[in-house]
Amino acid sequence: MTPLYQWAASLAERGILPSDFQYPFLIRGFLCVLVLAPILGGLSHLVVTRRMAFFSAALGQAALTGVAIGLLFGEPLNAPYGGMFGFCLLTTLAMVYVKRHATLPPDTLIGVFHALTLGLGLCLLVALTRQFNVHQVESVLFGSLLTVTDADLLLLVGVGLLVAILLVREYNKLLLDSLSPPLASVSGADSAFLEYFFAVILTLSIVVSLKVIGALLVEALVVVPAAAARNVAGSARSYLAWSIVVAFLAGAGGLGVSTKLLVPTGGAVVLAVSGIFFITLAAGVYARRRRTI
Amino acid sequence: MTPPLIEFVDVTIARHRERLLSRVSLSVSERTIHVIVGPNGAGKTTLLTAALGLVSFEGRILAHWRRDGRIGYVPQAFAVDASLPVTVEDFLALTRQRRPVCFGVSASTRARISALLGDVGLRGLERRPLSVLSGGELRRVLLANALDPLPELLILDEPASGLDESGVGQLEALLRVTRESGSTVLMVSHDLEQVRRIADRVTVLDRVVVSDGPAAETLALDAVTALLPSGGRR
Repeated sequence: MTPLYQWAASLAERGILPSDFQYPFLIRGFLCVLVLAPILGGLSHLVVTRRMAFFSAALGQAALTGVAIGLLFGEPLNAPYGGMFGFCLLTTLAMVYVKRHATLPPDTLIGVFHALTLGLGLCLLVALTRQFNVHQVESVLFGSLLTVTDADLLLLVGVGLLVAILLVREYNKLLLDSLSPPLASVSGADSAFLEYFFAVILTLSIVVSLKVIGALLVEALVVVPAAAARNVAGSARSYLAWSIVVAFLAGAGGLGVSTKLLVPTGGAVVLAVSGIFFITLAAGVYARRRRTI
Repeated sequence: MTPPLIEFVDVTIARHRERLLSRVSLSVSERTIHVIVGPNGAGKTTLLTAALGLVSFEGRILAHWRRDGRIGYVPQAFAVDASLPVTVEDFLALTRQRRPVCFGVSASTRARISALLGDVGLRGLERRPLSVLSGGELRRVLLANALDPLPELLILDEPASGLDESGVGQLEALLRVTRESGSTVLMVSHDLEQVRRIADRVTVLDRVVVSDGPAAETLALDAVTALLPSGGRR
Protein backbone atom coordinates (compact mmCIF):
# COMPACT_ATOMS: atom_id res chain seq x y z
CA MET A 1 0.00 0.00 0.00
CA THR A 2 3.01 2.29 0.54
CA PRO A 3 3.39 3.28 -3.17
CA LEU A 4 -0.28 4.33 -3.18
CA TYR A 5 0.24 6.51 -0.11
CA GLN A 6 3.38 8.02 -1.64
CA TRP A 7 1.57 8.75 -4.89
CA ALA A 8 -1.36 10.40 -3.04
CA ALA A 9 1.13 12.40 -0.91
CA SER A 10 2.87 13.65 -4.05
CA LEU A 11 -0.48 14.73 -5.50
CA ALA A 12 -1.23 16.53 -2.22
CA GLU A 13 2.13 18.29 -2.33
CA ARG A 14 1.41 19.49 -5.88
CA GLY A 15 -1.98 20.80 -4.76
CA ILE A 16 -4.01 18.35 -6.84
CA LEU A 17 -5.41 16.71 -3.71
CA PRO A 18 -6.15 18.48 -0.38
CA SER A 19 -3.05 18.79 1.81
CA ASP A 20 -4.46 16.32 4.37
CA PHE A 21 -3.87 13.51 1.87
CA GLN A 22 -0.17 13.50 2.65
CA TYR A 23 -1.03 11.41 5.73
CA PRO A 24 -1.42 7.67 5.05
CA PHE A 25 -4.06 7.23 7.78
CA LEU A 26 -6.28 9.77 6.06
CA ILE A 27 -5.91 8.10 2.67
CA ARG A 28 -6.76 4.80 4.34
CA GLY A 29 -9.81 6.45 5.89
CA PHE A 30 -10.92 7.85 2.56
CA LEU A 31 -10.50 4.46 0.91
CA CYS A 32 -12.55 2.93 3.74
CA VAL A 33 -15.32 5.44 3.02
CA LEU A 34 -15.13 4.59 -0.70
CA VAL A 35 -15.71 0.93 0.13
CA LEU A 36 -18.14 1.42 3.01
CA ALA A 37 -20.52 3.71 1.09
CA PRO A 38 -21.67 1.11 -1.46
CA ILE A 39 -21.71 -1.67 1.16
CA LEU A 40 -23.63 0.05 3.93
CA GLY A 41 -25.54 2.45 1.67
CA GLY A 42 -26.55 -0.43 -0.58
CA LEU A 43 -27.51 -2.63 2.34
CA SER A 44 -29.38 0.20 4.05
CA HIS A 45 -32.12 0.36 1.43
CA LEU A 46 -32.87 -3.32 1.99
CA VAL A 47 -32.53 -2.95 5.80
CA VAL A 48 -35.20 -0.25 5.81
CA THR A 49 -37.45 -2.08 3.33
CA ARG A 50 -37.19 -5.27 5.40
CA ARG A 51 -37.80 -3.27 8.62
CA MET A 52 -34.54 -4.36 10.22
CA ALA A 53 -33.41 -1.03 11.72
CA PHE A 54 -33.79 -2.23 15.30
CA PHE A 55 -32.14 -5.52 14.36
CA SER A 56 -29.09 -3.55 13.15
CA ALA A 57 -28.94 -1.61 16.42
CA ALA A 58 -28.95 -4.87 18.37
CA LEU A 59 -26.13 -6.16 16.16
CA GLY A 60 -24.04 -3.07 16.92
CA GLN A 61 -24.44 -3.76 20.66
CA ALA A 62 -23.63 -7.42 20.11
CA ALA A 63 -20.40 -6.38 18.38
CA LEU A 64 -19.35 -4.51 21.50
CA THR A 65 -19.87 -7.67 23.55
CA GLY A 66 -18.04 -9.63 20.87
CA VAL A 67 -15.02 -7.32 21.22
CA ALA A 68 -14.97 -7.93 24.96
CA ILE A 69 -15.19 -11.71 24.43
CA GLY A 70 -12.42 -11.60 21.82
CA LEU A 71 -10.13 -9.66 24.15
CA LEU A 72 -10.84 -12.00 27.04
CA PHE A 73 -9.82 -14.90 24.80
CA GLY A 74 -6.55 -13.20 23.96
CA GLU A 75 -7.28 -11.55 20.61
CA PRO A 76 -5.22 -8.42 19.83
CA LEU A 77 -6.82 -5.13 20.83
CA ASN A 78 -6.61 -3.73 17.26
CA ALA A 79 -8.23 -6.75 15.55
CA PRO A 80 -10.69 -8.66 17.74
CA TYR A 81 -12.55 -9.90 14.63
CA GLY A 82 -12.96 -13.50 15.84
CA GLY A 83 -14.87 -12.51 18.96
CA MET A 84 -16.85 -9.85 17.13
CA PHE A 85 -17.88 -11.98 14.18
CA GLY A 86 -18.42 -15.11 16.27
CA PHE A 87 -20.66 -13.46 18.83
CA CYS A 88 -22.52 -11.31 16.26
CA LEU A 89 -23.18 -14.35 14.07
CA LEU A 90 -24.45 -16.31 17.05
CA THR A 91 -26.71 -13.42 18.08
CA THR A 92 -27.97 -12.98 14.50
CA LEU A 93 -28.84 -16.63 14.04
CA ALA A 94 -30.54 -16.73 17.46
CA MET A 95 -32.56 -13.57 16.71
CA VAL A 96 -33.73 -14.82 13.32
CA TYR A 97 -34.54 -18.29 14.66
CA VAL A 98 -36.55 -16.97 17.61
CA LYS A 99 -38.28 -14.39 15.39
CA ARG A 100 -39.38 -17.11 12.98
CA HIS A 101 -40.60 -19.49 15.65
CA ALA A 102 -42.10 -17.24 18.34
CA THR A 103 -45.45 -15.50 18.16
CA LEU A 104 -44.27 -12.29 19.86
CA PRO A 105 -43.77 -9.19 17.66
CA PRO A 106 -40.23 -9.00 16.16
CA ASP A 107 -39.35 -5.69 17.83
CA THR A 108 -40.18 -7.14 21.25
CA LEU A 109 -37.95 -10.16 20.66
CA ILE A 110 -35.10 -8.06 19.31
CA GLY A 111 -35.48 -5.79 22.37
CA VAL A 112 -34.82 -8.82 24.57
CA PHE A 113 -31.62 -9.66 22.66
CA HIS A 114 -30.61 -6.00 22.64
CA ALA A 115 -30.82 -5.84 26.44
CA LEU A 116 -29.14 -9.22 26.90
CA THR A 117 -26.11 -8.45 24.73
CA LEU A 118 -25.69 -4.96 26.21
CA GLY A 119 -25.84 -6.28 29.78
CA LEU A 120 -23.33 -9.00 28.97
CA GLY A 121 -21.07 -6.53 27.17
CA LEU A 122 -21.01 -4.10 30.09
CA CYS A 123 -20.17 -6.87 32.57
CA LEU A 124 -17.37 -8.15 30.36
CA LEU A 125 -15.97 -4.65 29.75
CA VAL A 126 -15.76 -4.04 33.48
CA ALA A 127 -13.96 -7.36 33.84
CA LEU A 128 -11.60 -6.26 31.06
CA THR A 129 -10.51 -3.12 32.92
CA ARG A 130 -8.27 -5.45 34.95
CA GLN A 131 -6.31 -6.25 31.79
CA PHE A 132 -6.67 -3.11 29.62
CA ASN A 133 -7.33 0.55 29.98
CA VAL A 134 -10.99 0.66 29.00
CA HIS A 135 -10.32 3.80 26.95
CA GLN A 136 -8.49 1.55 24.50
CA VAL A 137 -11.85 0.04 23.61
CA GLU A 138 -13.27 3.47 22.77
CA SER A 139 -12.15 3.14 19.16
CA VAL A 140 -14.50 0.17 18.79
CA LEU A 141 -17.33 2.05 20.48
CA PHE A 142 -17.05 5.27 18.48
CA GLY A 143 -14.79 4.48 15.54
CA SER A 144 -11.28 5.80 14.96
CA LEU A 145 -9.29 6.17 11.77
CA LEU A 146 -6.03 6.06 13.68
CA THR A 147 -6.58 2.40 14.52
CA VAL A 148 -7.50 1.32 10.97
CA THR A 149 -4.66 -0.71 9.42
CA ASP A 150 -3.93 -1.83 5.87
CA ALA A 151 -5.12 -5.30 6.86
CA ASP A 152 -8.46 -3.82 8.00
CA LEU A 153 -8.80 -2.02 4.68
CA LEU A 154 -8.05 -5.17 2.69
CA LEU A 155 -10.55 -7.11 4.81
CA LEU A 156 -13.13 -4.41 4.13
CA VAL A 157 -12.49 -4.62 0.37
CA GLY A 158 -12.70 -8.43 0.40
CA VAL A 159 -15.93 -8.50 2.39
CA GLY A 160 -17.33 -5.66 0.29
CA LEU A 161 -16.78 -7.65 -2.92
CA LEU A 162 -18.27 -10.79 -1.40
CA VAL A 163 -21.34 -8.93 -0.13
CA ALA A 164 -21.83 -7.19 -3.49
CA ILE A 165 -21.65 -10.49 -5.43
CA LEU A 166 -24.06 -12.24 -3.07
CA LEU A 167 -26.50 -9.33 -3.04
CA VAL A 168 -26.55 -9.04 -6.84
CA ARG A 169 -27.40 -12.76 -7.01
CA GLU A 170 -30.32 -12.58 -4.59
CA TYR A 171 -31.45 -8.95 -4.86
CA ASN A 172 -34.73 -9.44 -6.73
CA LYS A 173 -35.82 -12.25 -4.44
CA LEU A 174 -34.88 -10.23 -1.35
CA LEU A 175 -36.88 -7.22 -2.48
CA LEU A 176 -39.93 -9.30 -3.42
CA ASP A 177 -39.71 -11.13 -0.09
CA SER A 178 -39.61 -7.73 1.65
CA LEU A 179 -42.77 -6.64 -0.18
CA SER A 180 -44.72 -9.89 0.15
CA PRO A 181 -43.26 -13.14 1.54
CA PRO A 182 -46.18 -15.20 0.12
CA LEU A 183 -45.59 -13.85 -3.41
CA ALA A 184 -41.85 -14.50 -3.09
CA SER A 185 -42.56 -18.01 -1.90
CA VAL A 186 -44.94 -18.72 -4.80
CA SER A 187 -42.31 -17.45 -7.25
CA GLY A 188 -39.86 -20.05 -5.92
CA ALA A 189 -37.91 -18.11 -3.29
CA ASP A 190 -37.13 -19.70 0.05
CA SER A 191 -38.25 -17.11 2.58
CA ALA A 192 -36.39 -18.70 5.52
CA PHE A 193 -33.16 -18.90 3.54
CA LEU A 194 -33.48 -15.25 2.47
CA GLU A 195 -34.03 -14.09 6.03
CA TYR A 196 -30.96 -15.91 7.37
CA PHE A 197 -28.92 -14.99 4.28
CA PHE A 198 -29.58 -11.27 4.58
CA ALA A 199 -29.03 -11.26 8.35
CA VAL A 200 -25.65 -12.96 7.95
CA ILE A 201 -24.59 -10.56 5.19
CA LEU A 202 -25.61 -7.62 7.35
CA THR A 203 -23.64 -9.04 10.27
CA LEU A 204 -20.53 -9.46 8.15
CA SER A 205 -20.78 -5.91 6.81
CA ILE A 206 -21.35 -4.39 10.25
CA VAL A 207 -18.42 -6.26 11.80
CA VAL A 208 -15.92 -5.07 9.18
CA SER A 209 -17.20 -1.48 9.42
CA LEU A 210 -16.86 -1.16 13.18
CA LYS A 211 -13.30 0.17 13.35
CA VAL A 212 -14.25 3.09 11.13
CA ILE A 213 -17.78 3.85 12.34
CA GLY A 214 -17.95 2.32 15.82
CA ALA A 215 -20.27 -0.20 17.46
CA LEU A 216 -22.64 2.38 18.92
CA LEU A 217 -23.01 4.32 15.68
CA VAL A 218 -22.91 1.77 12.88
CA GLU A 219 -26.70 1.46 13.02
CA ALA A 220 -26.93 5.00 11.67
CA LEU A 221 -25.12 4.08 8.44
CA VAL A 222 -27.33 1.07 7.78
CA VAL A 223 -30.56 2.99 8.33
CA VAL A 224 -30.23 6.72 7.69
CA PRO A 225 -28.90 6.64 4.07
CA ALA A 226 -31.99 4.72 2.97
CA ALA A 227 -34.26 6.92 5.06
CA ALA A 228 -32.75 9.99 3.37
CA ALA A 229 -32.99 8.32 -0.06
CA ARG A 230 -36.70 7.62 0.42
CA ASN A 231 -37.31 11.36 0.72
CA VAL A 232 -36.13 11.96 -2.84
CA ALA A 233 -36.07 8.65 -4.78
CA GLY A 234 -38.76 7.68 -7.27
CA SER A 235 -37.77 4.13 -8.26
CA ALA A 236 -35.77 1.13 -7.03
CA ARG A 237 -32.80 2.29 -9.12
CA SER A 238 -32.73 5.83 -7.73
CA TYR A 239 -33.40 4.47 -4.23
CA LEU A 240 -30.15 2.47 -4.36
CA ALA A 241 -28.21 5.29 -6.02
CA TRP A 242 -29.33 7.87 -3.47
CA SER A 243 -28.59 5.52 -0.55
CA ILE A 244 -25.01 5.06 -1.76
CA VAL A 245 -24.50 8.76 -2.53
CA VAL A 246 -25.80 9.75 0.91
CA ALA A 247 -23.55 7.18 2.63
CA PHE A 248 -20.54 8.41 0.65
CA LEU A 249 -21.21 12.11 1.32
CA ALA A 250 -21.73 11.42 5.01
CA GLY A 251 -18.58 9.28 5.18
CA ALA A 252 -16.38 11.77 3.34
CA GLY A 253 -17.88 14.77 5.16
CA GLY A 254 -17.58 13.09 8.55
CA LEU A 255 -14.01 12.09 7.80
CA GLY A 256 -13.11 15.69 6.94
CA VAL A 257 -14.80 17.09 10.04
CA SER A 258 -13.24 14.51 12.38
CA THR A 259 -9.78 15.28 10.99
CA LYS A 260 -10.17 19.04 11.32
CA LEU A 261 -11.94 19.13 14.68
CA LEU A 262 -10.33 16.02 16.23
CA VAL A 263 -13.66 14.39 17.10
CA PRO A 264 -14.45 10.66 16.74
CA THR A 265 -14.98 9.65 13.11
CA GLY A 266 -18.13 7.67 13.85
CA GLY A 267 -19.80 10.60 15.60
CA ALA A 268 -18.88 13.00 12.80
CA VAL A 269 -20.19 10.60 10.14
CA VAL A 270 -23.47 10.14 12.00
CA LEU A 271 -23.91 13.89 12.37
CA ALA A 272 -23.25 14.32 8.67
CA VAL A 273 -25.70 11.60 7.62
CA SER A 274 -28.36 12.99 9.95
CA GLY A 275 -27.83 16.45 8.47
CA ILE A 276 -28.25 15.04 4.97
CA PHE A 277 -31.43 13.26 6.07
CA PHE A 278 -33.04 16.54 7.14
CA ILE A 279 -31.93 18.28 3.93
CA THR A 280 -33.53 15.54 1.81
CA LEU A 281 -36.63 15.61 4.02
CA ALA A 282 -37.02 19.33 3.30
CA ALA A 283 -36.26 18.78 -0.41
CA GLY A 284 -38.87 16.01 -0.60
CA VAL A 285 -41.55 18.13 1.06
CA TYR A 286 -40.73 21.05 -1.25
CA ALA A 287 -40.86 18.84 -4.38
CA ARG A 288 -44.22 17.35 -3.37
CA ARG A 289 -45.68 20.80 -2.74
CA ARG A 290 -44.51 21.98 -6.16
CA ARG A 291 -46.15 18.97 -7.81
CA THR A 292 -49.48 19.64 -6.10
CA ILE A 293 -49.57 23.35 -7.04
CA MET B 1 -65.88 -34.29 -15.68
CA THR B 2 -62.23 -33.32 -16.21
CA PRO B 3 -59.58 -35.02 -14.04
CA PRO B 4 -58.53 -33.29 -10.81
CA LEU B 5 -55.54 -30.97 -10.74
CA ILE B 6 -55.55 -30.44 -6.97
CA GLU B 7 -57.07 -32.69 -4.31
CA PHE B 8 -57.49 -31.75 -0.66
CA VAL B 9 -57.81 -34.90 1.45
CA ASP B 10 -58.87 -34.55 5.11
CA VAL B 11 -57.06 -31.26 5.49
CA THR B 12 -57.12 -29.99 9.08
CA ILE B 13 -55.48 -26.76 10.22
CA ALA B 14 -55.35 -25.60 13.85
CA ARG B 15 -53.89 -22.49 15.39
CA HIS B 16 -53.71 -21.73 19.11
CA ARG B 17 -55.64 -24.97 19.76
CA GLU B 18 -58.53 -23.78 17.58
CA ARG B 19 -59.43 -25.65 14.43
CA LEU B 20 -59.61 -23.29 11.46
CA LEU B 21 -60.36 -26.15 9.07
CA SER B 22 -61.56 -29.61 9.94
CA ARG B 23 -61.10 -32.61 7.66
CA VAL B 24 -61.70 -30.66 4.47
CA SER B 25 -61.79 -32.83 1.35
CA LEU B 26 -62.44 -31.45 -2.11
CA SER B 27 -61.23 -31.82 -5.63
CA VAL B 28 -60.40 -29.00 -8.07
CA SER B 29 -60.82 -30.17 -11.66
CA GLU B 30 -58.49 -29.22 -14.47
CA ARG B 31 -59.45 -26.26 -16.68
CA THR B 32 -62.28 -25.10 -14.44
CA ILE B 33 -63.04 -22.02 -12.38
CA HIS B 34 -63.58 -23.37 -8.88
CA VAL B 35 -64.84 -20.85 -6.33
CA ILE B 36 -64.84 -21.19 -2.56
CA VAL B 37 -67.50 -19.22 -0.72
CA GLY B 38 -68.40 -18.95 2.93
CA PRO B 39 -68.90 -16.51 5.80
CA ASN B 40 -66.06 -14.56 7.44
CA GLY B 41 -63.81 -16.85 9.44
CA ALA B 42 -64.83 -19.91 7.43
CA GLY B 43 -61.19 -20.75 6.64
CA LYS B 44 -61.27 -19.86 2.92
CA THR B 45 -57.98 -17.93 2.88
CA THR B 46 -56.42 -20.52 5.18
CA LEU B 47 -57.29 -23.25 2.67
CA LEU B 48 -55.65 -21.28 -0.16
CA THR B 49 -52.49 -20.66 1.87
CA ALA B 50 -52.33 -24.38 2.63
CA ALA B 51 -52.51 -25.11 -1.10
CA LEU B 52 -49.60 -22.70 -1.58
CA GLY B 53 -47.57 -24.47 1.12
CA LEU B 54 -47.49 -21.37 3.32
CA VAL B 55 -49.03 -22.98 6.44
CA SER B 56 -48.60 -26.40 7.97
CA PHE B 57 -51.55 -28.76 7.98
CA GLU B 58 -52.66 -32.30 8.69
CA GLY B 59 -53.98 -34.41 5.85
CA ARG B 60 -52.82 -34.35 2.24
CA ILE B 61 -52.90 -31.94 -0.68
CA LEU B 62 -52.17 -33.72 -3.95
CA ALA B 63 -51.20 -31.88 -7.11
CA HIS B 64 -51.45 -33.70 -10.45
CA TRP B 65 -49.43 -31.34 -12.61
CA ARG B 66 -49.66 -31.84 -16.37
CA ARG B 67 -47.29 -29.00 -17.30
CA ASP B 68 -44.69 -27.04 -15.32
CA GLY B 69 -46.73 -26.79 -12.11
CA ARG B 70 -46.43 -23.02 -12.08
CA ILE B 71 -48.79 -21.25 -9.66
CA GLY B 72 -50.01 -17.67 -10.03
CA TYR B 73 -51.28 -16.03 -6.85
CA VAL B 74 -53.18 -12.87 -5.97
CA PRO B 75 -53.22 -12.46 -2.18
CA GLN B 76 -56.10 -10.93 -0.24
CA ALA B 77 -53.85 -8.31 1.37
CA PHE B 78 -50.84 -6.50 -0.06
CA ALA B 79 -49.75 -3.63 2.16
CA VAL B 80 -47.35 -1.18 0.54
CA ASP B 81 -45.26 1.15 2.70
CA ALA B 82 -46.32 4.71 1.79
CA SER B 83 -42.74 5.94 1.32
CA LEU B 84 -41.45 2.96 -0.66
CA PRO B 85 -39.93 4.15 -3.96
CA VAL B 86 -40.71 1.02 -5.98
CA THR B 87 -42.61 1.53 -9.23
CA VAL B 88 -45.11 -0.79 -10.90
CA GLU B 89 -42.42 -1.61 -13.47
CA ASP B 90 -39.84 -2.39 -10.75
CA PHE B 91 -42.30 -4.69 -9.01
CA LEU B 92 -43.28 -6.61 -12.13
CA ALA B 93 -39.64 -6.88 -13.22
CA LEU B 94 -38.62 -8.62 -9.99
CA THR B 95 -39.66 -12.04 -11.29
CA ARG B 96 -39.12 -11.32 -14.99
CA GLN B 97 -35.42 -10.51 -15.24
CA ARG B 98 -32.24 -11.86 -13.68
CA ARG B 99 -30.58 -8.45 -13.51
CA PRO B 100 -31.18 -6.80 -10.11
CA VAL B 101 -34.03 -4.33 -10.51
CA CYS B 102 -31.97 -1.68 -8.67
CA PHE B 103 -29.65 -1.67 -11.73
CA GLY B 104 -32.60 -0.85 -13.99
CA VAL B 105 -35.20 -2.70 -16.04
CA SER B 106 -34.08 -4.19 -19.36
CA ALA B 107 -35.75 -3.12 -22.63
CA SER B 108 -37.23 -6.58 -23.26
CA THR B 109 -38.67 -6.78 -19.74
CA ARG B 110 -40.05 -3.28 -20.15
CA ALA B 111 -41.89 -4.28 -23.33
CA ARG B 112 -43.27 -7.41 -21.67
CA ILE B 113 -44.50 -5.39 -18.66
CA SER B 114 -46.12 -2.81 -20.90
CA ALA B 115 -48.10 -5.55 -22.69
CA LEU B 116 -49.06 -7.13 -19.38
CA LEU B 117 -50.35 -3.85 -18.00
CA GLY B 118 -52.32 -3.35 -21.21
CA ASP B 119 -54.06 -6.68 -20.57
CA VAL B 120 -55.35 -5.48 -17.20
CA GLY B 121 -56.22 -1.97 -18.35
CA LEU B 122 -53.31 -0.18 -16.72
CA ARG B 123 -51.17 0.81 -19.71
CA GLY B 124 -49.11 3.90 -18.94
CA LEU B 125 -48.78 3.25 -15.22
CA GLU B 126 -45.33 1.66 -15.48
CA ARG B 127 -43.46 4.47 -13.72
CA ARG B 128 -46.04 5.07 -11.00
CA PRO B 129 -44.93 4.13 -7.45
CA LEU B 130 -46.83 1.16 -6.01
CA SER B 131 -47.58 3.23 -2.92
CA VAL B 132 -49.81 5.72 -4.76
CA LEU B 133 -51.97 3.14 -6.56
CA SER B 134 -55.61 2.78 -5.54
CA GLY B 135 -56.75 -0.53 -4.08
CA GLY B 136 -58.31 -1.52 -7.42
CA GLU B 137 -55.19 -0.61 -9.42
CA LEU B 138 -53.00 -2.56 -7.04
CA ARG B 139 -55.17 -5.66 -7.43
CA ARG B 140 -54.91 -5.36 -11.22
CA VAL B 141 -51.11 -5.16 -10.94
CA LEU B 142 -51.14 -8.28 -8.77
CA LEU B 143 -53.38 -10.00 -11.31
CA ALA B 144 -51.02 -9.05 -14.14
CA ASN B 145 -48.16 -10.48 -12.09
CA ALA B 146 -50.02 -13.74 -11.49
CA LEU B 147 -51.02 -14.23 -15.14
CA ASP B 148 -47.55 -14.10 -16.66
CA PRO B 149 -46.22 -16.57 -17.57
CA LEU B 150 -49.51 -18.43 -17.89
CA PRO B 151 -49.83 -20.49 -14.69
CA GLU B 152 -51.09 -24.05 -14.52
CA LEU B 153 -52.99 -23.11 -11.37
CA LEU B 154 -54.19 -19.59 -10.64
CA ILE B 155 -55.09 -18.95 -6.99
CA LEU B 156 -57.00 -15.76 -6.27
CA ASP B 157 -58.13 -14.49 -2.88
CA GLU B 158 -61.05 -12.10 -3.40
CA PRO B 159 -59.62 -10.68 -6.63
CA ALA B 160 -62.58 -8.38 -7.27
CA SER B 161 -62.16 -6.57 -3.97
CA GLY B 162 -61.72 -2.83 -4.67
CA LEU B 163 -62.43 -3.13 -8.41
CA ASP B 164 -64.99 -0.90 -10.10
CA GLU B 165 -67.67 -2.32 -12.44
CA SER B 166 -65.49 -2.24 -15.55
CA GLY B 167 -62.63 -3.75 -13.59
CA VAL B 168 -64.85 -6.62 -12.45
CA GLY B 169 -65.97 -7.23 -16.06
CA GLN B 170 -62.36 -7.21 -17.23
CA LEU B 171 -61.36 -9.59 -14.44
CA GLU B 172 -64.10 -12.06 -15.33
CA ALA B 173 -63.18 -11.94 -19.02
CA LEU B 174 -59.52 -12.56 -18.14
CA LEU B 175 -60.44 -15.52 -15.94
CA ARG B 176 -62.47 -17.08 -18.76
CA VAL B 177 -59.59 -16.58 -21.22
CA THR B 178 -57.19 -18.07 -18.67
CA ARG B 179 -59.39 -21.14 -18.30
CA GLU B 180 -59.72 -21.50 -22.10
CA SER B 181 -55.91 -21.28 -22.34
CA GLY B 182 -55.63 -24.41 -20.19
CA SER B 183 -55.22 -23.04 -16.68
CA THR B 184 -57.21 -23.98 -13.61
CA VAL B 185 -58.58 -21.21 -11.40
CA LEU B 186 -59.14 -21.65 -7.66
CA MET B 187 -60.54 -18.54 -6.05
CA VAL B 188 -62.30 -17.17 -2.99
CA SER B 189 -65.14 -14.73 -3.52
CA HIS B 190 -67.82 -13.05 -1.43
CA ASP B 191 -69.79 -11.84 -4.43
CA LEU B 192 -72.35 -14.55 -5.19
CA GLU B 193 -73.56 -12.76 -8.32
CA GLN B 194 -70.05 -12.92 -9.69
CA VAL B 195 -69.77 -16.56 -8.63
CA ARG B 196 -72.96 -17.38 -10.56
CA ARG B 197 -71.53 -15.68 -13.66
CA ILE B 198 -68.14 -17.35 -13.80
CA ALA B 199 -67.90 -20.42 -11.58
CA ASP B 200 -67.94 -23.95 -12.96
CA ARG B 201 -67.92 -25.43 -9.51
CA VAL B 202 -68.52 -24.03 -6.02
CA THR B 203 -67.47 -25.23 -2.58
CA VAL B 204 -69.27 -23.75 0.41
CA LEU B 205 -66.93 -23.73 3.37
CA ASP B 206 -67.55 -23.05 7.03
CA ARG B 207 -64.47 -24.67 8.58
CA VAL B 208 -65.89 -27.88 7.10
CA VAL B 209 -67.21 -28.47 3.61
CA VAL B 210 -70.92 -27.56 3.78
CA SER B 211 -71.59 -28.25 0.13
CA ASP B 212 -69.65 -28.88 -3.05
CA GLY B 213 -70.88 -29.19 -6.62
CA PRO B 214 -71.77 -27.39 -9.86
CA ALA B 215 -72.28 -23.65 -9.28
CA ALA B 216 -76.00 -23.30 -10.07
CA GLU B 217 -77.05 -26.32 -8.00
CA THR B 218 -74.87 -25.55 -5.01
CA LEU B 219 -75.85 -21.89 -4.74
CA ALA B 220 -79.55 -22.82 -4.87
CA LEU B 221 -79.36 -25.02 -1.77
CA ASP B 222 -81.26 -23.79 1.29
CA ALA B 223 -78.29 -24.54 3.53
CA VAL B 224 -76.14 -22.20 1.46
CA THR B 225 -78.75 -19.43 1.44
CA ALA B 226 -78.98 -19.75 5.23
CA LEU B 227 -75.21 -19.54 5.59
CA LEU B 228 -74.87 -16.51 3.29
CA PRO B 229 -78.13 -14.61 3.96
CA SER B 230 -76.93 -11.36 2.40
CA GLY B 231 -76.55 -13.06 -0.91
CA GLY B 232 -72.86 -12.60 -0.51
CA ARG B 233 -72.86 -8.97 -1.69
CA ARG B 234 -70.67 -6.56 0.21
